Amino acid sequence: MATKYGAYAGKVMYVDLTTKTYKEYPVNDNDRKLFIGGKVLAARIIHDFVKGPMDPFSPENPIVITTCPLNGTPCPSSARFNVSTISPLTNLLTSSNCGGSFGAQLKKAGLDALIIVGKSEDFIYLDVSEDGIEFKDAEFLRGLTTGAAQELLPKKAGKFVIGPAGENLVKYACVVSDERAAGRGGVGAVFGSKNLKGVIADGKSMAPRYDQDKLTKLVRKWTKDITAHPLTGSQLPKLGTAGLLSTMQQKNLLATKNFKEGQYEGFRDICGEELAEKYLIKNKGCRSCPIQCGRVVEVNGKQVKGPEVEIMGLMGANILNNDLQKIIQWNYELDELGMDTISASGTIAFAMELNEKGIWDSGLEFGKIDNISQVIDDIAYRCGEVADQLANGSRWLSEKYGGKDFCMNAKGMELSAYQPRAAVGQGLGYAVSNRGGCHLNGGYLVVLEGLGLSIDQYTPFGKAALTVMFQDVMESVSAGGNCLFTTYAFFPPFLLNKPNWWLTRLVNKVFPYLGPVIGVANKHSKALKVNISSMLPQPLGITHATGIKMTMGSMMALGARGYNLERLINLRLGLDPKTDTLPKRLSKVLQDPDNKKSKVPIEKMVKQYYKARGWNKDGTIKKRTLKYFNILDLDDISKRPLEEQGERNIIPPKPKKDKKPKAAKKDAPDKAKSANADAKPTNAAPKKPLTEEEKQKRIEEALARKKAKEQANAEKKE
Amino acid sequence: MEENNLVTVEFFGLYRLAYKKACVKVEAKNIEELFQKLYEMDDVHTPKELRNSIVLLNGKNIMELRKFKTKLKPNDNVVIMSPASGG
Repeated sequence: MATKYGAYAGKVMYVDLTTKTYKEYPVNDNDRKLFIGGKVLAARIIHDFVKGPMDPFSPENPIVITTCPLNGTPCPSSARFNVSTISPLTNLLTSSNCGGSFGAQLKKAGLDALIIVGKSEDFIYLDVSEDGIEFKDAEFLRGLTTGAAQELLPKKAGKFVIGPAGENLVKYACVVSDERAAGRGGVGAVFGSKNLKGVIADGKSMAPRYDQDKLTKLVRKWTKDITAHPLTGSQLPKLGTAGLLSTMQQKNLLATKNFKEGQYEGFRDICGEELAEKYLIKNKGCRSCPIQCGRVVEVNGKQVKGPEVEIMGLMGANILNNDLQKIIQWNYELDELGMDTISASGTIAFAMELNEKGIWDSGLEFGKIDNISQVIDDIAYRCGEVADQLANGSRWLSEKYGGKDFCMNAKGMELSAYQPRAAVGQGLGYAVSNRGGCHLNGGYLVVLEGLGLSIDQYTPFGKAALTVMFQDVMESVSAGGNCLFTTYAFFPPFLLNKPNWWLTRLVNKVFPYLGPVIGVANKHSKALKVNISSMLPQPLGITHATGIKMTMGSMMALGARGYNLERLINLRLGLDPKTDTLPKRLSKVLQDPDNKKSKVPIEKMVKQYYKARGWNKDGTIKKRTLKYFNILDLDDISKRPLEEQGERNIIPPKPKKDKKPKAAKKDAPDKAKSANADAKPTNAAPKKPLTEEEKQKRIEEALARKKAKEQANAEKKE
Repeated sequence: MEENNLVTVEFFGLYRLAYKKACVKVEAKNIEELFQKLYEMDDVHTPKELRNSIVLLNGKNIMELRKFKTKLKPNDNVVIMSPASGG
């Protein structure tokens, strides 16, 4: 499908697994301009499919895989693609984004997004290329782990697959691309319910960019800023996310014993420094990423992806385990079996407490680690009664056995490793996050409340507006295709390098008091027509790549548009706003008996949040908010005629204003046109295949070049 | 100052990688002196550079105490952390 914007392939495909047919889906340029890509564009598409509550395992539940405009560009850390669907864990919308190579490859195969509905009769995988979509037999992959399945799929393709957990409908099963996972919300189980093992994509189309020169310049500066920043240039490459754990311990933020406490005496054995010193082999990262936060470690003689901070906390302190080698092993097993490490760990911790309290004997005990590997394996295959129940997640267990007050979830999704009673803004984020107890979708305020900055951890003041702003920024950055680590540039380096400087301490003191000002900015974000590339380069990246003019304000508005739209979908799915809350352990019980503020005043904060979001007191969205963010009365995309789209003809960038004489100026538009003409449009007629003669000629040329090179090398040696 | 004013210093974050050790015992009467002693011992970070670390004395940030003049007692636990940690 044609588009006038750069960096988009210009085509969205609708695949029906029941009938094994596919057709183009009429997403148009107005959608691209308003919703950009990733999770926000996915929400726009899913919006039309949701008329009321939906069974996540029904064939009608759509899986929407969206790329982002920056996927495949040289922008730093821009490999993230997105998978959205209705979650079997929460029964609400879930969006899970993932690194790896798949996003760029799907775009090279000519698609911006793939909508998958229906249910295949036989076990299959999808093969996407520029020639179309093939429904291929996947029986030979059935039961295989994510690593083994990917090895058996064609080598060149971008791919992602489910493991045994997805096939067996474990409600927190994930999909894995390379070694990266779209982890949260059970998207892997929805794949399994459709008899779909995975998707591969391969192609050679390169969507032309709107202004390659400006993009290249921006990328150069952006990459330099990232590598010079204390977080992305030093901390994350050297210690990975695991480097957080000791800070969490020192600030009472480390979830311990199913979130009963915030510090763990055995933390020294499981911290990121220990990982770096004893287990790290090398760093690894996604495509186009200068940060390389991934850890490569060894398990059973094989080099594999190391653990992130979430599992180190949740399978460490939260179950009273100080054996890091075991955590590395479990992390690998969970990835291979295709399960979300956070939800699996949270469910195990809850089962341990149920057992400790004599409520349900699962054989799991705090501090007992010899049976965990077996339990993980059993969950993936739903093997035995205990594992079969654990596979449904902690909320399901609490509904069956009780213990809701200490079931550490929000809306059915298990919380990540940050103890919210020592970071009440993060607590609010967990409670109101669209996909449930997610630290990132919740706004990740813990980065202000102790991990990066040091604003008052316990005050609710200003936190609602800050949560809205951070949620919106992260939502929009995800839509563009950047990793969320790129948002750290938002914090000037001095705030992180000089924590004891008077200015830093002043900023930490006054930050919460900026809440009301930030609240106004959130609500009138479209008016912020500025760009500060050193703080938020993403809008410029999107502008140069696509030609869609973005500013800091329009990025915030994009995030708010996405966040409100997701909320709207959740309300249609039957979301009860009363579930915008936390378990009583976090909101009613003091973490530190001597500190009366060490709990999350959730009712008060949620009220402030609704107000900051422009929602009604009952948690529904005000019409004027929907209208302001252009999502009131959206049309049904599927009912649009395909003919509505025009031919692809990317608008050329405006010619630069220079000081050349007027006569020279007249040439400028022509130059721009000719520069643009060099770009290869994706819907251009495919090149003719080479004839045998031409092929032979090229081979001979290559051989001659090789021979010349060898000769030159030999001469050099002499 | 007592005769043997030994305190335990623990390094976390990038400081642990720089010092190549997790823990060290140092005799010092206050934080300033501690920084100087660490510099003399290992020559990794100057006292001025260490002023940009987060320093916790028995779990409390020294900036809430007497900053770099904060006094140390025998068996105190001092944590020196790199300030930035993102995940």
